[in-house]
Amino acid sequence: MNKFIYTNTFLFYLVLLCSSSGFSQEKVYTSKSIPDALTDGANAVVRNDETRIILEDVDEMLVSQKRIVTVLNKSGNKTLDAMVHYDDNVKIKHLEAVVYNKFGVIIKKIKEKTFLDVSAVPGGTLYSDSRVKYLNYSPSDYPYTIEFTVEYRTSNTAFIPSFLPVNHYHLSVERSSYTVSSPENIEIRKKEKRLSGIDLEKKEDVGVLSYIVKNIPAVKPEEFCPTFVELVPRVLIAAKQFSLEGVNAEVENWEGFGKWMYNDLLLDTADLSESTIAEVRALVENETTAIEKARKIYQYVQDKVRYISVQVGIGGWKPFHASKVDELSYGDCKGLTNYTMALLQAVGVNSNYCVVYADSPRRNIEKDFAIMQGNHAFLLIPSLENQDDIWLECTSQDVPFGFIGDFTDDRDVLVITPEGGKIKHTKKYETLENSQKTKGSYVINDDGSIHIEASIASRGIQYNNKYWYEKIERRDLDVKYKENWDYLNTITINKMEFDNNKNDVVFTEKIHLFVPNYTKKAGNIMLLPVNALNRNSYVPDKYKERKYPVIFKRGFIDEDEVEIKLPKDYLVEALPEPLIIENKFGSYHASCVVQSDNTVLYKRKFMMKDGKYPKEDYDSFREFFLEVSKYDNAKIALTKNQ
Amino acid sequence: MKLSAIILFLSVSLFGFSQDYKFGKVSKEELKEQICNIDSTANAAFLYKNRHTHVEYEENQGFFYVVTDIHERIKIYNKEGFDYATKIIDLNVSGSDEESIQGLKAYTYNLDNGKVEDVKLEKDGIFETEKHKYLKQLSFTMPNIKEGCVIEYKYTVMSPFYWRVDDFYFQHDIPVKKVEARFDTPEYFNFKMVSKGYLPLAPDISRKSDRFTFNNKVRTSSNYNSTTTFESNTIDYMRIYNNYNFKNVPALRDESHVNNINNYRSAVLYELSYTKFPQAPIKYYATTWEDVVKTIYDSPSFGDELKKNNFYKDDIDALLAGVTQPEAKSAKIFQYVKSRMRWNKFIGKYTQEGLKKAYAKQEGNVADINLMLVSMLRYAGLQANPVLLSTRDNGVPMFPTLNGYNYVIAAIEIQDGLVLLDATSPNGLPNVLPIRALNWVGRLVRENKSSTTVDLYTKQKSKSNVSLLADLSSTGELNGNIRFMRSNYLAMDYRNHYFESDQETYLESLSNRFKNIEISDFKVTNAKNISKPVSETFKFTLESQADIINDKIFFSPLFFLKQKENPFKLEKREFPVDFSYPTSKQYKLAIKIPEGYKIESLPESVHLLLPENLGSFKFIVQTSGDGKIIHIVLDNVMNESIISPLYYADLKAYFSKLIEKQSEQIVLTKV
Repeated sequence: MNKFIYTNTFLFYLVLLCSSSGFSQEKVYTSKSIPDALTDGANAVVRNDETRIILEDVDEMLVSQKRIVTVLNKSGNKTLDAMVHYDDNVKIKHLEAVVYNKFGVIIKKIKEKTFLDVSAVPGGTLYSDSRVKYLNYSPSDYPYTIEFTVEYRTSNTAFIPSFLPVNHYHLSVERSSYTVSSPENIEIRKKEKRLSGIDLEKKEDVGVLSYIVKNIPAVKPEEFCPTFVELVPRVLIAAKQFSLEGVNAEVENWEGFGKWMYNDLLLDTADLSESTIAEVRALVENETTAIEKARKIYQYVQDKVRYISVQVGIGGWKPFHASKVDELSYGDCKGLTNYTMALLQAVGVNSNYCVVYADSPRRNIEKDFAIMQGNHAFLLIPSLENQDDIWLECTSQDVPFGFIGDFTDDRDVLVITPEGGKIKHTKKYETLENSQKTKGSYVINDDGSIHIEASIASRGIQYNNKYWYEKIERRDLDVKYKENWDYLNTITINKMEFDNNKNDVVFTEKIHLFVPNYTKKAGNIMLLPVNALNRNSYVPDKYKERKYPVIFKRGFIDEDEVEIKLPKDYLVEALPEPLIIENKFGSYHASCVVQSDNTVLYKRKFMMKDGKYPKEDYDSFREFFLEVSKYDNAKIALTKNQ
Repeated sequence: MKLSAIILFLSVSLFGFSQDYKFGKVSKEELKEQICNIDSTANAAFLYKNRHTHVEYEENQGFFYVVTDIHERIKIYNKEGFDYATKIIDLNVSGSDEESIQGLKAYTYNLDNGKVEDVKLEKDGIFETEKHKYLKQLSFTMPNIKEGCVIEYKYTVMSPFYWRVDDFYFQHDIPVKKVEARFDTPEYFNFKMVSKGYLPLAPDISRKSDRFTFNNKVRTSSNYNSTTTFESNTIDYMRIYNNYNFKNVPALRDESHVNNINNYRSAVLYELSYTKFPQAPIKYYATTWEDVVKTIYDSPSFGDELKKNNFYKDDIDALLAGVTQPEAKSAKIFQYVKSRMRWNKFIGKYTQEGLKKAYAKQEGNVADINLMLVSMLRYAGLQANPVLLSTRDNGVPMFPTLNGYNYVIAAIEIQDGLVLLDATSPNGLPNVLPIRALNWVGRLVRENKSSTTVDLYTKQKSKSNVSLLADLSSTGELNGNIRFMRSNYLAMDYRNHYFESDQETYLESLSNRFKNIEISDFKVTNAKNISKPVSETFKFTLESQADIINDKIFFSPLFFLKQKENPFKLEKREFPVDFSYPTSKQYKLAIKIPEGYKIESLPESVHLLLPENLGSFKFIVQTSGDGKIIHIVLDNVMNESIISPLYYADLKAYFSKLIEKQSEQIVLTKV
């Protein structure tokens, strides 16, 4: 489901590009002068960045940037950003880089023609007219410094580069400045995020807005920490009057933005031929409820079309016509969403086109700042017959009706209606919905080998993690299972059977497997690890000093029940003590009970709640995982009956 | 039984349904087919694949060019096969010359209520992208794709590059039911052909006479008028045809630890070896490896470059002042080139900048750097020569071609053999070539242009020796010291990782690798002195290293150093396992058991051998005289870099046993 609409151009414009002006502190070219606080955890340091944006008119913008970065080590090369994205609407006026060694001596000058010029077609896209010129520089020694200068002019003013002084992990900033100026007929809007607590100078005059920040330390990612965009300072900038691919607009809030999108980008694309309309009406003829009609239409779409991304000109922003998708049987997420909406309309079901930041790390559309955002489109069928809203992912040919998984769940999205745009929150998959129930039995043989039979039912986000198993080849699936159970040596999988119940959204695996030498034998003792199927060996990383709060995004609950048949010549010498852990993060229950002479019943329940906790809680959060991983390794000791 | 099977097979092929491969003649039977009859797991299959490549003469302009006609029919069985409905065609560009496409026609066929329906690919569904300076791409995806559909397309590629004919691939990631190919050229072109993969690919060759017409425009002018006459000349020649025809080619599926899967894909390759036009001398391109080497050596960007030395003379004289031993000289020069020159990441056998310019810029491609190294070594009086080779990405060339080699390194001939050097990687060591260069065999070229093949894979083992001295407490906590020594490739990997970012980040990743370990007194020696093995030592504390059950303590002998997973998970394997280099991994542990406990049982020591002396492991567990210390030795040696799939089962079992031994338990009891 990893499918994006809007050309990458969009994301790239957000990453700052641009400037020139007389900044001439020689010391920024040598790597000796960097303050210690800025090298801590940094692979590179922005010594000085000057970005200047001049809006000359509604459809005329000049962007310039001079960026001096000292790269401290190999990993720092990734943060250089010596590149410029362009398309037919962007004219590069100037592009250059100068390389300095650690003593501040120039070792190389790189002109525009030496930059590599390639098509910037992201994976999974058939065609896009966006291109990139980038610097491919391989240093012989670290640290070194690059001064990168770029200047370009564009007629698209819908994307004004935002002020994002820290744009990578492990990148610190010594100084970064940003100025945007505009003529009288254009009103600039802004949204400042996380500017408190940093060394900041801000100036606001008529027609000019500027920021200077200094000495921002590098962000080091931590496990279970907020996403990058939630950690760094940023100022989003938009012009009330802007132009996109020759289409002018005036927008200052989501209502107006939604109206503009609806009227200028969506309205005329919902065309369908009479025959298609007749076909789908006949299809739902016998359905009485709107939900059942929608279900039929969704199935029709899944059977008919497939996802192919093509991004050309305004087409990068505007969906393909529904009639075109109907004819070609393919489209990108915009096209497929619009097509599904048109079909629903034809059978009298109302739905809305939505824009979202899709992907597993959740990201919200800015609630109170209307600006081109998001990277994906999908569909909302607003509450029918007093039931929940239904969200439809239109690029997948496999997911069940109304299932959106971790791709677009639990986040603010923009809903486009004829009355304007609205921000809505998508479905959240609650802890108890994301369940995995395992029912199994082991037979332990005298030679220490084990036969396992199990049935594993997954729901919610855990369904999301599994449903694609049925699509892969048996050979690859065999390997996949062996990777899942990497703690079992030399498995033979004798049976794998799946039941994908799309109505109730349950994926059930039925598995038979055999592991020789499963138990550990030492003398007349046999050690039998009780958890063969669902062992958690994962422990989050440890930090000397945790910096960020702890976020557990999606809760889950796993319940296992296994009957263990012991080998007939052995007796139980020791059983693991039952364990109950309950804390704010979740709970863990495990027990082994002897049922008859040679049967033990093993039960395990592991629940993690979703939640956000202060950084002080990280150690106990980690400790919980550590305890679980220890107990998941618990063993029954058996002795041979002599 | 066998006989009846053959008869059945014959009758099927005699009376079975006969296919029509003409463009547009997609049958109902093809559309109805639900599973591929030759591979039930296939998501899609080529029903038919035809390629005709021919060299033609442009009569008006007077030049030769290559025409390639493609016709493909693909069946898509299910959604997972939809990717095959998208086609990308590469078009080479060189200056103002470029390949172009003509006559693209494409249709999707579906069965609609028992009737064959077709949908045409429209112009607005075809895209051209300039990927970069040397490559354009034409891409399209077919309309109306449904499970069970058939797509068909044909097009012609016109290429001015008659010396470069694309390889003919007969095998793909999906099965091919029928494939036909033809390559034909006028007799003036002599192409060398070779095949690779498991199919027997001998072409059916025939000759036919043909005729070219030359159109000449002759203009004569005097003072007052001019006359133009058109003349036509004809010339008879022989055209040589190579034909291929196969049925039911199985799909090729990739596996882990494979060098480059394309080396095993069935294909035929053509390379121009010489041209002989009427009334013109023979022009050689390449014929034997010796000829290839000569052609390369005679290029101004190769042999001539080696002779130049004025620009570095003074520097090298200064560098070698007072140095007399040849080994010391070569070590100094190798180090000098590695530290002076920065590799610009371009691969090539020909210099890009030229040595002089590269030397001044301190930057160059592979040939700039390694030919400079050869030249300097020669200048210093050493017996140094370039070695040409083909990188892993370039695959294994199956016959002598200029493109067969794409990389060059340096070799010094010494008494005990050869020392191979590659100065493009700052962490490179003598005889430890970058993995990209470890492929097939290299060819050493001497100054007199004679050449011999060279084994690039090192026989020298990359070693890792781990020693651990620790006390085990009665609560299962382990306290002690550990040392890792790594050499050659393993040292190179370590250094690359260690220098990736700062030490703090490295330490964090190290401690997280061993879960809850506490590390102190961390020290790395010889991190930068790359001629020596790199060693890493630290003190550690780690809890939960044993199971305590009643009055017994159980633990596995290698504790947290235990190898958990068998790297080989496939049940069967088709292709050789490529480890890149031989290794010796040794663990020596001395564990002091807690007070008040005695040893109850120890795993049995074993010695296991792989066939053909491919590898072996020893696992020895002993106790000290007083029974307080347990000594554990695990020695795992892989003698070969590449292991044939014949021994795959042995190899898999070997690793399984290795892992099993490591998880056997040592048992202690309370006294």
